[in-house]
Amino acid sequence: MSVPAPPSQHRQRKAPRKLPTVPLVVLVASTVAAGAAAASAPAAARGWALTTALIGWLWVSVTVVVSALTLRRVRRSSVGQSTENANLEAQLAKQAAETAHLVNATLPAVAKRLHDGATVTEALANVPSPSDPQLRQVAETFCSLLEQAVQEAAALDAERHEARQERARASEELERLTAKTLPSVVAKLHDGGTADTVLAELDLPKTPLLRAPVESFVRELAHSERRAAAAQAASAKALSRVQAKAVSMLADLRDMQERHSEEVFGDLLKLDHSTSQLGLMTDRLALLMGGRTSRAWNKPIVMESILRGAVGRIAAYQRVRLHCSTNAAVSGFAAEGVMHLLAELMDNAANFSPPIDEVHVYVEERSAGLVVTIEDSGLKMADAAMRHAEQAVAGRVRDLASLQGTRLGLAVVGRLAVKYGISVNFRPSSRGGTGVVVLLPPQLLAQQRDSAPRDPARRPTAAAPTPGPAPVRESASTDRPDPATDRTAGRPEHPEQSARRRTEDSTPNGLPVRAPGHTMAEAERERLQRSGTADGTEKDRARDALADRRATARDAGSTFGAFHRGRRSGSGGTSDTPADPGPLEAE
Amino acid sequence: MTRRPVDTGDPDRLYTVTGGRSRADDSFDLVALVVSECEPTAGMQSEHLRILELCRHPTAVVEVAAELRLPITVVRILLSDLLAMGRITVRHPQMAQSAASLPHSALLKEVLRGLHNL
Repeated sequence: MSVPAPPSQHRQRKAPRKLPTVPLVVLVASTVAAGAAAASAPAAARGWALTTALIGWLWVSVTVVVSALTLRRVRRSSVGQSTENANLEAQLAKQAAETAHLVNATLPAVAKRLHDGATVTEALANVPSPSDPQLRQVAETFCSLLEQAVQEAAALDAERHEARQERARASEELERLTAKTLPSVVAKLHDGGTADTVLAELDLPKTPLLRAPVESFVRELAHSERRAAAAQAASAKALSRVQAKAVSMLADLRDMQERHSEEVFGDLLKLDHSTSQLGLMTDRLALLMGGRTSRAWNKPIVMESILRGAVGRIAAYQRVRLHCSTNAAVSGFAAEGVMHLLAELMDNAANFSPPIDEVHVYVEERSAGLVVTIEDSGLKMADAAMRHAEQAVAGRVRDLASLQGTRLGLAVVGRLAVKYGISVNFRPSSRGGTGVVVLLPPQLLAQQRDSAPRDPARRPTAAAPTPGPAPVRESASTDRPDPATDRTAGRPEHPEQSARRRTEDSTPNGLPVRAPGHTMAEAERERLQRSGTADGTEKDRARDALADRRATARDAGSTFGAFHRGRRSGSGGTSDTPADPGPLEAE
Repeated sequence: MTRRPVDTGDPDRLYTVTGGRSRADDSFDLVALVVSECEPTAGMQSEHLRILELCRHPTAVVEVAAELRLPITVVRILLSDLLAMGRITVRHPQMAQSAASLPHSALLKEVLRGLHNL
């Protein structure tokens, strides 16, 4: 900020001093010349010559003096002008320097201070103000404009910052809403929460723009969930009535089949078949609507009955060939589900194979459980169709919205498979069509002790042809080491097991508790046997009684009774043969 | 857990037992005696197994039906299957000559009418 020094003004002062010497020399020389001319002139002409020389000298001197004075005046004015010129130049330079200083140093400095937040007066106080008033005004105007601009910029910046923060907050809220809040809301609503409870628990976004749509979304979703739930419940309830009617019709038909003769037997079977198909359809819908199956079994059902029960529910049951040599049984709680699942798969197989081809169903026992294979010889399923079927039976899609048209069976299969832990797989069949492999896990199969008491009475040699399965099931039933002793009353148990059972077999009020898969009578009998007395004689007596009952199962009285019963139920079928003396004998 | 009476019957319908047939040939009289001719083998229908087991001693058709708790028509169909496979033999209660020795039913009816007219 140094101010450049003004240029020096003493350079041209000495020049005028020399000027008077020249006229003096001219005057002296002319005097000398005039004296010489007068002296040298002859005496006669001396006066004339002297006069002439004097006049000439006077003229010369006057001329010299005048010219010298004129010159001096001219010189003097010229010096003044040059001095003024120099002054002006100096002033110009000073101004240029000030302007340059203003532009290069002052204004940036002032701008910086203003940017740093100083006011105009503060900013101008600390810098040397230019001497020129116009420049000063320029600087002041610049400063005030700049201050205004700076203030505006600051305001805009603050606004922008605020807007950005708001945007960040909103986007964060939106993200949280999308990622966490809405899924949990949907889950809660799906579990039956009302809109108000869900909204109360929900931490709503602060942004009003988000809050309103979220609220209306929650209410709308709650409404539609409630509507769906109400529709489902209503249809499940209505279907349960249809189911009950179908079941009672089946029972009536069975009764009629016993009572009526051979003429109507075929028609009754037809009705029975139609009713069974009706039962499958209503069960399918009921399961989709969250209802239950129409039937429930309280005892283990042997595999053959399971397969027959399944095949009896489909239209083309005569095309299905069952190959079942196992005597494994499915526990009562799962029997109906398994039956329905197999019926759906058989129905599928029968529907997608030519009407002349057979569908084969194989059952094999493996350590992983019971494998049921349903093979048709229809067209191979396309890859996409098979993928779709796999997806449907996997049960991952539980939404009713994904159902398509009339193809409901596989969705039901998926639900049942998930419920009971059954794995269902599709694969190309060696017969040319599609094979479905169903794996029933061991926990669905009845333990040996459950099926054993029925076997001696109903199927005495059933175990003989297939000795293989027995060890498998024994290993599966880890806490029942000896099925033979289980069958009788004497049950060797570990102390802790018997203690556990004793606490389980009756409620605190003394009511008997039925274990799943047991009939009430069996449960009661076991309870009496266990809690009656602990001594061995009582157990032995009970065991003997039971053994006796089995041994004398076919004595003369029971034979006669059976004959009588069979005669009564079969009377309708043979009364039209007059030559037959059988009725007369039996009456 | 059970909101309604549990089913106690069997899930198999009768048409699945007979394979859809509803007519039996009339060769089985109600009191015809059935005798099994072989031991049950693996893979047989469970009713066949039970019949073969039951008929180790000669057993009447009605008795079989009662033991199996099945209608007589179904039992006849099952028995005709077994007979066709040669696993059972059937002995009809009246031999040809005994049937011939019995008085004809028309005669009996006439006697009955005469008795009424007395």
